[in-house]
Amino acid sequence: MSVRPILLVTIICAALIIAGCDGSGQLEEPNEMVLHHVLSAKIKGLDPGNMRDVYSVIVASQMFEPLYQYHFLKRPYQLVPLLAEDMPQISEDLLTYTIKIKKGVYFQDDPCFGSRPAGSVPDGKGRELKAEDFVFSLKRAANIKYLSPNWSIFDNKIAGLDEFREYTKTCKSEADVDYSRQVQGLTTPDDYTLIIKLKKPWPQLCMALANTATAPVAKEAVDYYGRDIISHPVGTGPFRLNVWRRGSYIELVRNPAFRDELYPSVGEPGDAEAGYLDDAGKPIPFADRVVWTTIEERQPAWLLFLQGKVDATVIPKDNFDEVMGGAGELTPAMKQRNIHLKTFNDPSTYWVGFNMAEPVFGKNKPLRNAISYAIDRAKFIELFFNNRHLIAHGLIPPVMPSYNPEIKEKGYAQYDPEKAQELLKEAEKIHGGKLPTLKITLPGTNTWYRQYGQFLKRNLNAVGLEAEMEYMDRPTYLEKVNTKSVQIFTSGSSARIPDAQDLLAMFYSRYHAPGPNKFNYSNPEFDKIYEKAQVMLDGPEKRRLYRKMELIVLEDCPAVFLNHRVAYVLHHDWYKNYKPHAFAFGLSKYRRIDTAKRAAYKN
Amino acid sequence: MTAYITRRLLYTIPIIFGVLLLTFVLFTLVGGDISIEIAGKGATQETIDEIREEYGLNKPLFLSWDSQFINHFKNALTFNFGRARDREPVIDKIKRGLGPSLALTVPIFFGVVIISVSLALVVAFVRGTVWDILAVVICVAGMSIPYLSFILFGQYFLAYRWGLFPVFFSPELRMAQYVALPVLIGIAAGLGRNLRFFRTVMLDEIRNDYVRTAFAKGLTVRRVLFKHVLKNAMIPIITRVVLAIPFLFLGSLLLERFFGIPGLGYLMAEAINSRDYFVISAMTYISAILFVVFNLITDICYSLVDPRISLE
Amino acid sequence: MLCLGVIVIYFLLAGFIYLAEFFDWRIGPTLWAEQAGQSYAPPSSENIFGTDIFGQSVLRKTLYGTKISITVALFASLISVAIGVPLGAVAGYFRGFVDEIIVWIYSTLSSVPYILLILAFAVVLRDKTFFGYKLTGITAVYLAIGLTSWVGICRLIRGEVIKHKDREYVLAAISYGCTRRRIIFRHLLPNVFHLVIIDFSLRFVAFIHAEVILSFLGLGEAERPSWGAMINDARIELSRGVWWQMAAATAAIFFLSLALNIFGDALRDSLDPKLRIQ
Repeated sequence: MSVRPILLVTIICAALIIAGCDGSGQLEEPNEMVLHHVLSAKIKGLDPGNMRDVYSVIVASQMFEPLYQYHFLKRPYQLVPLLAEDMPQISEDLLTYTIKIKKGVYFQDDPCFGSRPAGSVPDGKGRELKAEDFVFSLKRAANIKYLSPNWSIFDNKIAGLDEFREYTKTCKSEADVDYSRQVQGLTTPDDYTLIIKLKKPWPQLCMALANTATAPVAKEAVDYYGRDIISHPVGTGPFRLNVWRRGSYIELVRNPAFRDELYPSVGEPGDAEAGYLDDAGKPIPFADRVVWTTIEERQPAWLLFLQGKVDATVIPKDNFDEVMGGAGELTPAMKQRNIHLKTFNDPSTYWVGFNMAEPVFGKNKPLRNAISYAIDRAKFIELFFNNRHLIAHGLIPPVMPSYNPEIKEKGYAQYDPEKAQELLKEAEKIHGGKLPTLKITLPGTNTWYRQYGQFLKRNLNAVGLEAEMEYMDRPTYLEKVNTKSVQIFTSGSSARIPDAQDLLAMFYSRYHAPGPNKFNYSNPEFDKIYEKAQVMLDGPEKRRLYRKMELIVLEDCPAVFLNHRVAYVLHHDWYKNYKPHAFAFGLSKYRRIDTAKRAAYKN
Repeated sequence: MTAYITRRLLYTIPIIFGVLLLTFVLFTLVGGDISIEIAGKGATQETIDEIREEYGLNKPLFLSWDSQFINHFKNALTFNFGRARDREPVIDKIKRGLGPSLALTVPIFFGVVIISVSLALVVAFVRGTVWDILAVVICVAGMSIPYLSFILFGQYFLAYRWGLFPVFFSPELRMAQYVALPVLIGIAAGLGRNLRFFRTVMLDEIRNDYVRTAFAKGLTVRRVLFKHVLKNAMIPIITRVVLAIPFLFLGSLLLERFFGIPGLGYLMAEAINSRDYFVISAMTYISAILFVVFNLITDICYSLVDPRISLE
Repeated sequence: MLCLGVIVIYFLLAGFIYLAEFFDWRIGPTLWAEQAGQSYAPPSSENIFGTDIFGQSVLRKTLYGTKISITVALFASLISVAIGVPLGAVAGYFRGFVDEIIVWIYSTLSSVPYILLILAFAVVLRDKTFFGYKLTGITAVYLAIGLTSWVGICRLIRGEVIKHKDREYVLAAISYGCTRRRIIFRHLLPNVFHLVIIDFSLRFVAFIHAEVILSFLGLGEAERPSWGAMINDARIELSRGVWWQMAAATAAIFFLSLALNIFGDALRDSLDPKLRIQ
């Protein structure tokens, strides 16, 4: 048997396979306006009730609209109506909210709404939005069979909803739940009015109602698509899903049924000069298509940005020097390409936390303080974040209304190895002997985390403490933290609403792990103030209480706060109306592309 | 022949059973409770309990008709792989990843086999000369460099520095573009050990008396090499080649991770990281079946190629 | 013989580091954590291989990494030999049901792709306590490798034992009443042991490379420098132009693997003329 023909055939086959496969993306029409973005992780699903990662929210928020939204331009951040007619009417006792829904809002056209009557003209409109849809979405979040991560937002807040949840526990499966069961706290006297009754005052209700997760979902869609609803979004927003190649590419197109919405005409001082009011009063959205490509590594995404194929990007840590020259200015190479830099404070805090349930830490304040003095935050930010971030002198990040501008003077974030060593002597006395090797648990095993761990170890070793690092993947890490089996752990949080409530909740003693209080910290004074502030509307008194709580936490030191993030975003000249917003999603409707400038861009 | 095949197929049953048992034990018993992770950040105990109920994690492990293991077994037999952690059906993920993985492994496979077999023939012929020694040295050197270094060097110099290839997968690239560099690296890294192996096989053949006789009879080199040596060396070659085929389906874990190619190897790496048990067990199961099937094919090929071997 | 020398040097280095750590001597490699220069300083007269992100000397890290790699490879090899040889011998000698079971076990293990199996074992073994002894990262790694790599040697031994079983010397031993255990251990195994040695030397290389891959996948030694971790770090470092860590680790692995490969070949040539590689 001769081998040569076989060789020939195989070579031809291989060539055919390679040549025949084509993974190219869609072609653009010349007059279309297309926004190009990059996501650095895969999105998991497009069902508002089941958003578990921020990337899914970024995409889904362009298609689903909640009742309220943050004003795009005004600062400080404030809520304005989106699907609601107006801000809600609140009763005297702060327990009843009456909300009027806009008329003439339609879900996009979809097979789940049934076939069209014969002879009618397709206008892209599905069914009109009714107040009942909001009730349905909230009930769905409460349905335990649906396993929505949003339940924690509404747990123990709305009258009758917790009982509904109890009812769903008795049902066999998700499909068996009877949604027509009445919930006394959610009523709709007519098609366009929604009344929410709370169990106790909840000042952040409107912020929760500005969360994409609470956007209304059509019951027809849920019934029609079942589990597959994560890939069949049916929303009321300015865009609708066109193509989704899982794991790599997602494309939205303009929703023909979108009602008239206009670009804001007012902003804050400085907006007009920055060009943010150039499109004031015009109907949105401007873009015809919005495209996201998933690229998990930073380098290739960066290269695409330089080639002009992507409109905006963050600066990868390892390319920082080629982008930023000294004094916070762009390098000439960047300026030549007409690339703009926008920086903004991300409302986030990152920390090294102690499990107070561990006797080594729980009873040994000098030890915790010593560790705080031992960590060189400035160096941390220099080595790992190109000096971009801010040192966290307290818990509350600068973006928040309750941020204390004088927090730095309180001196909780100082680097003082000598003081640390002194404190350690005290700590040893309290401990009753030499301090044991500390165990630090980190939620990742890649190079970044290993270097982070090494950094912490070096800092601790320098003051005479022994430390051992444990790297693990996220699921294992969460399990260990939730079962209180860690000593020291690293974590962080990014606020989703302009209210430090969520950050402070992490120190409330009722929320010990598996709740948000992973530190298992308890302080009765803190708890009292927390409960008091929980039901107060925003104002100077509330902020005062927040700051007091922050000081209690800083004094007790259940966590060492390291940094607040500052985001550096680059975008091309043709990408208009990009104003960084710390809390809002769904902003693609405001963006506009200067197609002439983009076409003229040479790499 | 059919009796042999039937007997061999019967043998595969305990092996498949073994694989299912292995994946089950590893991930269920020893792996820990995944329901906490599914529940997410702010989960309460009742949510966690609900999840266990839904995924059947609160059923007994082995000893009942409805036990977890029996369910695992049943699902595997009916190829019902369920949904992955993010609720996409596992089958869809596998279908999606198959294309890119094959586009990577098949060219590497052919490249390595064709090049190393051909080179092995040549080198066997010039054995003992400086070319031969050079070839051996290069092979051994190639085998001594860690695979990861190959990839890093290749990516850094050929893609990043000299810009000859795209650095990374990007959905708008044509498949031929983003697959080219990984294929090149895969072939380069795999040549060393394969060439050595085939060379050994060829040499063993050439040393046989019949080759000397053939040359003495005056046959041309080409005839001797192709018609006689190659054919007789086919058995070990076929064994190695055919046994490698099942692993083509799994893509190359490292190459895919590095170049971001959305294939099955990448899927597997992600699944292991996020403890996505459903994906892992589905893929392990499929690979076990493929392996067993191709073992059978190998044995059949054996008997076809070498009349001395009968299927016993 | 040069190769044997190279190998011996590596082993001695590893052993030396062990001693140094044990006795807490403060020299060279044990001081790898000390800051020897600026962050990411390129190779210079001060630091021949440059420094890493914390300014640690890459040369010292490389030397220290010898210990980790040799430990992993050694223990993994010992484990796989300790499991594979007895199982193979027993399977080959007794045949029948015992043989079927053992063949079933290793067929099952070999139908699962190697990397996958190691990954699975390592992930699962991580953090478990074994008879009160806590498994740290690196221990889980060489246990995982060892527990999954015994298949090859087992098959080999089994095949050889089957072949030897009917030889005259074995029949003679049976006829004068040798216990089976004696036959296996005193007679059969010594005759097939050369295979173990050859396999050992080749496996060793594979295990060192496996450590690199496992580091990449997030397992392996986290606290102390290891070659695998250094190459893995190179992923992000290369885009900054920092090539020296990877070069140093690759060079270290290269020379050791080369020496082992050549040595293994030479061993094979001298111990078993039938398997001669020219």
